[in-house]
Amino acid sequence: MTDERDPKVSQRYRELGSEEPPTALDAEILAASRRAAETRLAPLVPPTGRRRWYFPVAAAAIITLAVAVTVHVERQQLDPGFSGLRSEPPEAKKDGAPQAELRKAKPAKPPATPQPLSRAADAMQERGSADAQPESRVRSAAEAPARLLGQVAKADSPEAALERIAELRRQGRHDEADKALAEFRRRFPDYRIAAEMLKKVQRP
Amino acid sequence: MEAPDEQLMLAYRDGSAGAFETLYLRHRGRLFRFVLRSVKSRATAEELFQEIWMRVIEARERYVPQARFTTWLYTIAHHRMVDHWRRGGLSLVELDDQDLPGDSPDPARQLEAREALARFAQALEALPVAQREAFLLHEEAGLSIAEIAVATGSNAEAAKSRLRYAVAKLKAAVEDD
Repeated sequence: MTDERDPKVSQRYRELGSEEPPTALDAEILAASRRAAETRLAPLVPPTGRRRWYFPVAAAAIITLAVAVTVHVERQQLDPGFSGLRSEPPEAKKDGAPQAELRKAKPAKPPATPQPLSRAADAMQERGSADAQPESRVRSAAEAPARLLGQVAKADSPEAALERIAELRRQGRHDEADKALAEFRRRFPDYRIAAEMLKKVQRP
Repeated sequence: MEAPDEQLMLAYRDGSAGAFETLYLRHRGRLFRFVLRSVKSRATAEELFQEIWMRVIEARERYVPQARFTTWLYTIAHHRMVDHWRRGGLSLVELDDQDLPGDSPDPARQLEAREALARFAQALEALPVAQREAFLLHEEAGLSIAEIAVATGSNAEAAKSRLRYAVAKLKAAVEDD
């Protein structure tokens, strides 16, 4: 330690006195320290022995679970049986049907008495399948894109898969077509898509 | 052999009240004088002194011996003193009630000694805050220049410069006697 002291200054400073705190103050501070020691929180010492494995193992388990759930959810999004992917019927969008009307068109529970159907359901009814029940038609329309997407995912041949992607494009369902195209490229990485077909399956 | 301060503080952090008592008794006098010579009144000094130790108690869970305990203690003290100075309380304790050095029966010499000490006290009081703090940390608390820099949040060059200016001014006051 570099000592910058000057002997005369130090001596004079010492002559100022050696005051100390009053004993009552000492007692107060020491009492506070004892109270704090008695009510201290959990020790901050690091875990030893077997306990040191707890945190890494728990962290690894959480990460594994998170990855597994993510992969599972991604796969389910391409599965036609997965109800979570049910999206709006494309016809409803084309008709410009408001979302509220669309929700009315697919009620959670069938009404006791037949209610007036939405414009979306009516539109589908006009396109044929007049013999089908309106309610089942609405459900069918809602499930159609998911089913089509699933068909793309599970198509046997690359050509069939491309046709279905092109169909998604024609319907204006570009997000799903993108997903299906990505899935196609994953399944058939070496397949060369013909230029004409490429125009149909790529996002315009 | 006495346990080092850092070990005592760690023991207190882990619940040993006895370790704190040892530590407190070891540092109470120096810290009290450091505070007393930086403020206006003894009552204020006692209040600040208590608050500093309360902060030590509160900070025990976060204590990690990265430096000497003394440096850590005076860093806490510095922060508390800065708070106090910002509120405007800045002076030295009066010397009227101090016991004078020596036991000379000669009233003239006693008066002379009292006046010399008063001049020194005035010179110390007249120092800029940073210089006086550097002097007290070095002279009273025994901190090195590097430790003064840490405790006051400055750098070694600044700490050294402050200390040298302070000692030079005080030396001049002593030599005037």
